[in-house]
Amino acid sequence: MEYEKCYVYEPEGQGPAKRRQIEPQGLQASWKLRREAYQAAWRAQKAQIDAKLSDLNAYAVRSLTAFLDEAAQSPQSSAIPTAILSTGPEASSSTAVTEQLSRDQNAQKCRVFLSISASTGPNLKALLKAIIQKATSRQESPDDDDEDDEVTTRKKGAKLLNYDLQLLADYVSERQLEQVAIAVGDTEGFDSDLLSELVELLGYWCDRIPVVLLLSVATSAESLQQRLSRSAVRCLKGQMFDVAASAIQLEHALEAVVADHPTIWPGSDLIGLILERQSDYIQSIDSFTHAIQYTYMSHYSANALSILLIPSIKFANIPPDHFEALRNVDSFRQHCRGILDDNQASRVRELLDSDEKLFNLAADSIRDLRDRLNSMLPAMKLLQHIQDILHSYPVTPTMPFSKAYKLAMAGRLTQDSSFIRSMLLSVRKSQQHIIGQVLQAFNISSIPATFRSQAETLGKELIRLSASAAGENVQLRSEESVKNSTLRTTVVAQKVELSKQKATLSKRDESYTKLLRRLSDLLERYFGEALVDPKTCLFHELVVYDLRSPYRDTFTPRPRQAIERALATPHDYLDCDCCGPDAASRGKEMMLASSQPTTAVLYQLYLESGSLINVNDLRQAFLAVTAEDGRSEEENTALFQRALAELRSLGFVKGTRKRADHVAKVAWRGL
Amino acid sequence: MPKRRRTDNAVEEEESTPQKTRRTAQNDSPPSNATTPSNRKSILKGTPTRGPNGTSVVEPTPKSLRKVLFSTPAEKAEAAEEQETPTATRNDRSARRKSARTLQKQPDDESEDGDVAQDTALAEAILDQEDEIVGEDEEEVVVADASSQPTADTPTKRGRGRPRGRPKKERTPSPPPDLPPHELYFFQNRAGANKTSANTLAPNLLLNHEDYLTNINAYKDPHEQDIKRLADLHKRAFDQWTFEREEGFNLCLYGYGSKRQLLMDYADHLYHSSPKPPRIVVVNGYTPGLTLRDIFTLLAKTVLPKSTKLPSLPVPLLDLVLTHLTSNPPSPPITLLVHSLDSPTLRRAPAPALLGRLAAHPFISFIASVDTPQFALLWPPALLRQYNWLYHDTTTFKPYIAEIDVVEEVNALLGRSGRKIGGKDGVAFVLKSLPENARNLFRILVIEQLGAMSHLEADATLGGGDVEDEDEGMLGVSDDEDAAAEAQATPSRRQKRGRPPKKAKAAVTKKVVAPAAEGVEYRTLYHKAVEEFVCSSELSFRTLLKEFHDHQMVESRKDGMGVERLFVPGMGRGELEGLLEELV
Repeated sequence: MEYEKCYVYEPEGQGPAKRRQIEPQGLQASWKLRREAYQAAWRAQKAQIDAKLSDLNAYAVRSLTAFLDEAAQSPQSSAIPTAILSTGPEASSSTAVTEQLSRDQNAQKCRVFLSISASTGPNLKALLKAIIQKATSRQESPDDDDEDDEVTTRKKGAKLLNYDLQLLADYVSERQLEQVAIAVGDTEGFDSDLLSELVELLGYWCDRIPVVLLLSVATSAESLQQRLSRSAVRCLKGQMFDVAASAIQLEHALEAVVADHPTIWPGSDLIGLILERQSDYIQSIDSFTHAIQYTYMSHYSANALSILLIPSIKFANIPPDHFEALRNVDSFRQHCRGILDDNQASRVRELLDSDEKLFNLAADSIRDLRDRLNSMLPAMKLLQHIQDILHSYPVTPTMPFSKAYKLAMAGRLTQDSSFIRSMLLSVRKSQQHIIGQVLQAFNISSIPATFRSQAETLGKELIRLSASAAGENVQLRSEESVKNSTLRTTVVAQKVELSKQKATLSKRDESYTKLLRRLSDLLERYFGEALVDPKTCLFHELVVYDLRSPYRDTFTPRPRQAIERALATPHDYLDCDCCGPDAASRGKEMMLASSQPTTAVLYQLYLESGSLINVNDLRQAFLAVTAEDGRSEEENTALFQRALAELRSLGFVKGTRKRADHVAKVAWRGL
Repeated sequence: MPKRRRTDNAVEEEESTPQKTRRTAQNDSPPSNATTPSNRKSILKGTPTRGPNGTSVVEPTPKSLRKVLFSTPAEKAEAAEEQETPTATRNDRSARRKSARTLQKQPDDESEDGDVAQDTALAEAILDQEDEIVGEDEEEVVVADASSQPTADTPTKRGRGRPRGRPKKERTPSPPPDLPPHELYFFQNRAGANKTSANTLAPNLLLNHEDYLTNINAYKDPHEQDIKRLADLHKRAFDQWTFEREEGFNLCLYGYGSKRQLLMDYADHLYHSSPKPPRIVVVNGYTPGLTLRDIFTLLAKTVLPKSTKLPSLPVPLLDLVLTHLTSNPPSPPITLLVHSLDSPTLRRAPAPALLGRLAAHPFISFIASVDTPQFALLWPPALLRQYNWLYHDTTTFKPYIAEIDVVEEVNALLGRSGRKIGGKDGVAFVLKSLPENARNLFRILVIEQLGAMSHLEADATLGGGDVEDEDEGMLGVSDDEDAAAEAQATPSRRQKRGRPPKKAKAAVTKKVVAPAAEGVEYRTLYHKAVEEFVCSSELSFRTLLKEFHDHQMVESRKDGMGVERLFVPGMGRGELEGLLEELV
């Protein structure tokens, strides 16, 4: 079958039909359970992300709907009402919006919504055909492909070509349509002349067909204007709409991932990788969703202990070998070490002997850990908020949620981290209106009540202080604020001395300073309590998923490196006895060895050569290497030919006409 | 060192050119010339180029000894000149060459004294100057070398007096460690690294299909066990793949080695392990004649009811299949298994986009293998979104048995026709069924073409410097004896095969008449044919030619002068010679 072009697979023989239905053994025995758990968990997660994203689009969709309604109401003028959606570099955000729109709009009988893109057709004729076909939702009969003279009969006599807009006009008047909305997916992808022609033509017809255009631009309206011809621009009556940029969408999607009691939390390394890929390769928001989905998949399928994440799991449902695995988890070992250090060996013994005890411990600690992680979210929010407030006057980029999340999960927002320190420092220097905002920011329902009430009292004091200060028309000043100290330079014995001079503080200022200290203490305590390093918690392996390699390998492969590695050091893959680096040369570069696969031998010879390779010499060298194996020269030549053919089809060499019997090197290693 | 590695082939080539017919030179050339390559590593690194003027021919006189000392730098200078060729130095070079020749001639012409002595003095003066230039050139080369590999050791060779036995340039085969990628690029593309020998691959060295197959079938891979273990390792991931596919992802398998068997094993696994076996459509992407229509038609036949009339063009066909799938979803999704998705046939313009639409459909599950390391360039982001790949490294180390036609591939790589219809074997086959006359005519054509070829090559290798010699030939100054020597030297040495001297001579004369053009003039061929009693009239000549034309064994082309030329297309010198051997 290997030389057929394509065929439907038929199994060879009836042999092993039932043989493979073996029940999985060991830790895989729980796969069925885990799979169901995965499906439930992911379905919930997906729904949350989708809801968040459609919320995000909702504004754009609403405003666009209003625009369309207005256009439908107002009488047709000479120009086409046009909505210009500015989407940023990722066009998929606009597709989501238009899809939602088309769902809404097509539900209404009196409107038609259709979308075209650059790939719809290479010329005006094809575009018009597509537009008419989509608008009239006429099923194209199978074999009318290129027959342009195909005609459609009208009730009123004359026959029309299938790209005549009169067809659309008839359809519109027949159904008494109010509006035909055409969404143009990627205006940048269109040939500018083609787009201009299309717009002009629609402009001529807009007294008979109530057209509305939705152009999505990734660049700017100015560049769209430049690309269109002047007469085409004259046909348009544009209005700008902003669709949420993909970066913002991403932030919201990430928030949705962790917001509402998720079953697993992606770790900081993983999130870092995912975000990096999103920004480096301008991926759509879908790919982020897929990455999260794959995280769930990997965790549930590869980590048998994820069975403990099932909400309704009972001790009896867990196979005993899973507990053995649980005892090998790193955080559990550390936990035991801690107990032992407290001289409570009997407790450790219990945990090691009794599965049930272990189960209870695991269930408890997983619940604890989840609670802690959940309580991290408001802290992150607060942190983000305070950062926003603090940095509002110098224009620095505020901290996005993704960054806060990444830092928090990496355990870099703990009490004595530099980040928190510097933030508290700037809080202590801040002015009263900023402090007021910070105190207001505390008013998030998910922050524990004790902290909120303390913040409230602080807020009251602040109001009192500022009221009395306002009476005297002075600003409250903090002791630590730079503005309150002046630098003095004095020259003493040809050396410059800097000395700080603190301005004298009024009583009120002193109490303000105290208030700031208390606030900073409050913040410190709160963050210290809420933001723990998840990696120090017991059984964090089950709840926080932070493995990078499955994601990296499946989403961002490095095929070139894989092939080069296979050919340069085949031992890495084959793990054979013959080609491995011997003890003497360990650590050095792999050497050519006759035992290596022949293509690898040839590839390494190829690496040594310059940009042109003499095939005869290459063959000689190859034979010289492989001769050690005691094969006949003919056989080696056959192997040489095979290796050379493989290198060619892999795209490493190509023929050259520069010199006879030479080949050109095309791929350079490690580039 | 460079001479040591010159093969017999090259020696013959050099000596067969008409300019170097001095037998004394051949006999007295240093013994190192004859050695064949033995060092496997260095053979590719600094393979020698011989100075086109043949200055390394050694004369036993003390004067020429001096030249030998610097012959290697002289080559070097030429190599440097290849990159930047100022006309001034080129002129200089021809003067130098002339003077070198004068010096060489001396022992022969010693009897006639007179202004010879003067000439010698002048020649020596020029050569001295050359040495200086060479010295400078070499310095330049060394400096350039040092700058191109900054972390390498400082070049050891400076100055002119260099021991003969050492390699021209000591290049480290592997780059210095920890170079940033851009430096690596320049390291690997450094100038002057691409000096290769002029050796050619004799056509009989490469195996044809039969020999290849017998040999490759006889070959037993010592790594068989390891390869099997690797495959088993991949097979353990089958269940994971199934899971991933069921979750809506498509799979893309990459890595070195044929993944065909692995994928077929997976199809097997899929078929037997699932409660309701899915329909699996297998596409062999590597088959050269594959079209998108084939794929879509097959899909349509598996999906649609039998009576449906299928459109002829791929796009509507695809639309039909997709709409049908949307309205009647199959219970396990259709599995589409594509081997070598990045093959040349599936790489071309509409294929990735259309297959992407297939892949994006929720009821088609796509598994593909890709072979080339650059496959990722096939898909822009928008398409990638449709494909929704998960990639898996499945390096198998299995030979591409079905995917690659090894013999053809190598022949195509080297620009040889191999066994195609127009190729050597094909032509020989056609000729067998033609009458004697036709065979004779073709033989003449091949001989003429070979003659023209050798002339062309001589031109190419000797460059502009030998214009005088050609002039001599044109003017008929070269005496008969010389011509005879040439005739003997040219064909017989090159081919090691007895050929009637008459034809050899003919080839030589031909060379003089038609310089620098491919093939044979129509007129000339006709006259030769009449001379040899192959045909008696132009009409019969044309009839014979037509037969060749019909089998694409001959092509005609107008050259720059508007003269019609005939030639055998698509064959190199080696193949023509082989053909000739069969004909005679």
